[in-house]
Amino acid sequence: MSHLLEIHDLHATIAGKDILKGVDLTINAGEVHAIMGPNGAGKSTLSAVLTGHPAYTVIGGQVLFRGKDLLAMPAEQRAREGLFLSFQYPVEIPGVSMVNFMRTALNETRSYRGQEALSATEFLKLMRQKKQLVGISEKMNNRSVNEGYSGGEKKKNEIFQMAMLEPVLSILDETDSGLDIDALRIVAEGVNALKTADNASIVITHYQRLLDYIVPDFVHILADGRIVKTGDKTLALELEEHGYNGIA
Amino acid sequence: MVLHKGETFEHVYINEPAIDLHIVQEADSHVKIHIINLQDSEGQSEVTNLIHIDHADTGCMTEIYALACAGADDKISTRTRVHHDKGEGVSRQLIKFVLRDRAQGSFEGELKIRQDAQHVDAQQLNRNLVLTPTALMRTKPQLEIYADDVKASHGASTGQLDESALFYMRQRGIDEPTARRMLIGAFLKDVLDTIADEQQREALMDAIDRIV
Repeated sequence: MSHLLEIHDLHATIAGKDILKGVDLTINAGEVHAIMGPNGAGKSTLSAVLTGHPAYTVIGGQVLFRGKDLLAMPAEQRAREGLFLSFQYPVEIPGVSMVNFMRTALNETRSYRGQEALSATEFLKLMRQKKQLVGISEKMNNRSVNEGYSGGEKKKNEIFQMAMLEPVLSILDETDSGLDIDALRIVAEGVNALKTADNASIVITHYQRLLDYIVPDFVHILADGRIVKTGDKTLALELEEHGYNGIA
Repeated sequence: MVLHKGETFEHVYINEPAIDLHIVQEADSHVKIHIINLQDSEGQSEVTNLIHIDHADTGCMTEIYALACAGADDKISTRTRVHHDKGEGVSRQLIKFVLRDRAQGSFEGELKIRQDAQHVDAQQLNRNLVLTPTALMRTKPQLEIYADDVKASHGASTGQLDESALFYMRQRGIDEPTARRMLIGAFLKDVLDTIADEQQREALMDAIDRIV
């Protein structure tokens, strides 16, 4: 069976500055990978490049997602293929209601996957069901996307969207930042509940704390644009104790 | 025209090539006008809107909502003059432009509050989306306030679609043209929401979807 994601020698720049300098990473279905590393190592760049953010330029390497050339696809197609990013800073979209946003996203994704669009009733029922996963209130439906949400609500809303879209690979970019311990637990439990043998996730974090809740199969340390060390979950603990300089 | 004491004048102007309206409001009268210009023509069309309102007596209310979407080589110019000659009046102006291709938009808003027009509450807001580097927006708000016990606010801003919102939507599987349409619709929503007739509002929303 082929791998879910294969990254070979990926190089990327932003505004002419080299950020990724040869990343190699292979992810299989059913796995959870944590990526840790100091500020400026390229963690968020890696998630932006994989999801097709237009500000970044790939200057070398290859990425295969379910055997297909990921880098050749526009951002929306990558999403419809099953790649999901939980944003570090979820974007506020005034004037676009959560219902309208989510229904458009889900039905376009379903159409791409050869599934029929959901009726309004089916859709609202699904929303209600998935919201329970992270305890988001019903009132959210008619509010604008992320507008005026607290930090915790924004992150819960990301996991809610992940539950709606049922991605094959989820990248959680510093999902723990700005969360108190209760919100962190709810978010982590949501992620764990969505885990199946057929999907995988990449958890980008600075801190061991999140990995107490979302237990990784592999921990990678990204430093200066490359993965410099890979281990199991004990690597994160070592890191906590000795810092990046003691390890990388 | 003169709007007599306590009367209301309400009208939605849709795709008029030229509006030249001068209304003198008597006491406690109410003006509510919408000016909608949706240009989907190839080539060039020119539109001029001139709205002149005088609050000749106290307690008048004026609402002016304007929405213009232009493309190709269209030119749309909207001028408002709201003169609060007497006190206790309220005015609300919300003017929005969405420009693409080589379209040119212009807004001039003169808001005058005379010395004996106390307790006036006046707002003027102009916001514009310029979608292409070749489109051009000129905006010139002019406030002249001679009374000392009034509330008056104004704002003018011109910008582009929020790229981070666009990427966020695409990351959720929404294709780029749809995402753009949704963001433009969101930008214009507050103007459309002031139209009371729901059918008319929805018809306009559909028309906007088709041209942007």
